[in-house]
Amino acid sequence: QLDRGCALHTAARDGLSSVSSQDGPAERPRAIFHTSESDPAKHTEQHEGRLYNIPLEEVKAVFPHGLPHRFQQQIQTFNEARVMVRKPALELLAYLKGSNLAHPAVRYLIYGERGTGKTMTLCHVVHYCSRQGWLVLHIPDAHLWVKNCKELLQSSYKKNRLDQPLQASVWLKNFKTSNERFLQEIKTQKKYMWGKRESTEEGRPLSEVVEQGLARVRSASDAVGVVLRELKLQSHRGSFRLLVAVDGVNALWGRTTLRKEDKSPVSPEELTLVHNLRKMVRNDWSGGAIVTTLSQTGSLFKPSSAYTPQELLGKEGFDALDPFVPIPVPNYSPREFESCYGYYLERRWLQHEKARSEDGKAELQFLSGSNPRQLDRLAGPL
Amino acid sequence: RIMPVRWSRYSPSYLEPEVKKESYQKSFEELTEEEREEMELKAVRPIKAAPPTLSSSVFSDPMICKFTNMMMKSGNKVLARNLMSQTLEAIKRKQVEKYHKAPENEKETIECNPYVIFHQALNNCQPIIGISNITRGGKTYQVPVPLTDNRKRFLAMKWLITECRDNKHRRMLMPEKLSQELLLAFNNEGPVIRRKHVLHKMAEANRAYAHFRWW
Repeated sequence: QLDRGCALHTAARDGLSSVSSQDGPAERPRAIFHTSESDPAKHTEQHEGRLYNIPLEEVKAVFPHGLPHRFQQQIQTFNEARVMVRKPALELLAYLKGSNLAHPAVRYLIYGERGTGKTMTLCHVVHYCSRQGWLVLHIPDAHLWVKNCKELLQSSYKKNRLDQPLQASVWLKNFKTSNERFLQEIKTQKKYMWGKRESTEEGRPLSEVVEQGLARVRSASDAVGVVLRELKLQSHRGSFRLLVAVDGVNALWGRTTLRKEDKSPVSPEELTLVHNLRKMVRNDWSGGAIVTTLSQTGSLFKPSSAYTPQELLGKEGFDALDPFVPIPVPNYSPREFESCYGYYLERRWLQHEKARSEDGKAELQFLSGSNPRQLDRLAGPL
Repeated sequence: RIMPVRWSRYSPSYLEPEVKKESYQKSFEELTEEEREEMELKAVRPIKAAPPTLSSSVFSDPMICKFTNMMMKSGNKVLARNLMSQTLEAIKRKQVEKYHKAPENEKETIECNPYVIFHQALNNCQPIIGISNITRGGKTYQVPVPLTDNRKRFLAMKWLITECRDNKHRRMLMPEKLSQELLLAFNNEGPVIRRKHVLHKMAEANRAYAHFRWW
């Protein structure tokens, strides 16, 4: 019944929002705002404003750590994952389909006001790429690496740098779940020493490096660095295509709330994870794309009304990311609002009697200002 | 000096503000005689200021507002309202999850509307008869006494809130505990219903002193 699409990648089936299109009369009649097209590669303008379904096994495989918390609760409640197909995502997918992989990686920056759907657009693109068989390097929220870190270790590799074992090991575990088959195929090109006794020889599969990072938590950050370096060096060969998806990229160039033992503040360059990620986001490699999102919600020391790239990245970040393709994400258009409202009604989420009436709908539209996050929070108690 | 605590500072000529949208959308000819007189009176008399709790939204509910006010501590209405909306959302989430996982024939029996659950739970918790302390000849007797509607509602809400504040795990948050209690009360189970039954039994046991009541 549903289009299975690419049979290789079982994990990366889910897409973010998808719009549904009415299929032929053989289909069980779902509402006009659903679509049964669950392959993001086939989403077009005609699917705009509709919601597509991601099978739950794919959700677990593709997004071990990418989805926003409220969306995960929604998946749990409705027993299905439906994402809306919107214009910015379609634009990005068109660029990715037409991109030339021999050229250096193009950087896309998704920006917009608070709660307009930047993270969900990113997840849509990640779903598309994993369906197409790309290797997805998804960092769910870079802000988690620059704040609230309980353990900071002195890096054994370079003197001034600080390691974050907990965050690195969590990320490695999730990376392993989403990209199992690639880790067996890609081989290391250099010998790496983990401390005095352990080492990984040249030509061993990358999964050994990941196992090493998970087993020895002290060297997890260095394992992450090795993985990133290997992927960058080997992506131009063409055996796999690499997508670097970073949510909250403005964390890499801001300030941190972490302090060293002598209470002096830590700047982001001194963290191994941030340093390696900055090298990854530079466009000196080819064979893939870099899709990033700005985020004010988790950012540190930035005013809450800031949403443009210039304000959130600062001078240093903007210069580092400089030739990028900006993709603005607006609030819901009237059609998208209708679609979201209809979906909530159909799933029995809007329970208040007055919510079904025209007055209730007009009130919801006015109070939320067509902002997706506000609509979600308002529809909660209703 | 007398401070107006339960009295109103307004003089009697001030009228209440009209919030409902429908009453302003009627044209002149549709109004009856009394309504025309009322309109003319409103054109002449001054009108009280609308309190911040009064809303023209279609989603506002007076019982929910009263419950929120009782949950409020030291005037923090923002927090109380957020807790209330999180409670309603928690109830709805649990019920909708159960609904989507249930087989077809059981789907109609599951009630998903948090407002219906809230009102039904409050109704189930309201006591029918109350107890009042009356002193005769030096001894205080617990005399069974009829209760007004307001008093019943107040007792039901008070019991729910004290139950949720006292008997919970240290780390459990108020919305979750409240949603649990409301769902139990909706099904006529739980500690609040038991407290109501205990009160009824006490009133039944002290039936002999019922004649002490003089009102």
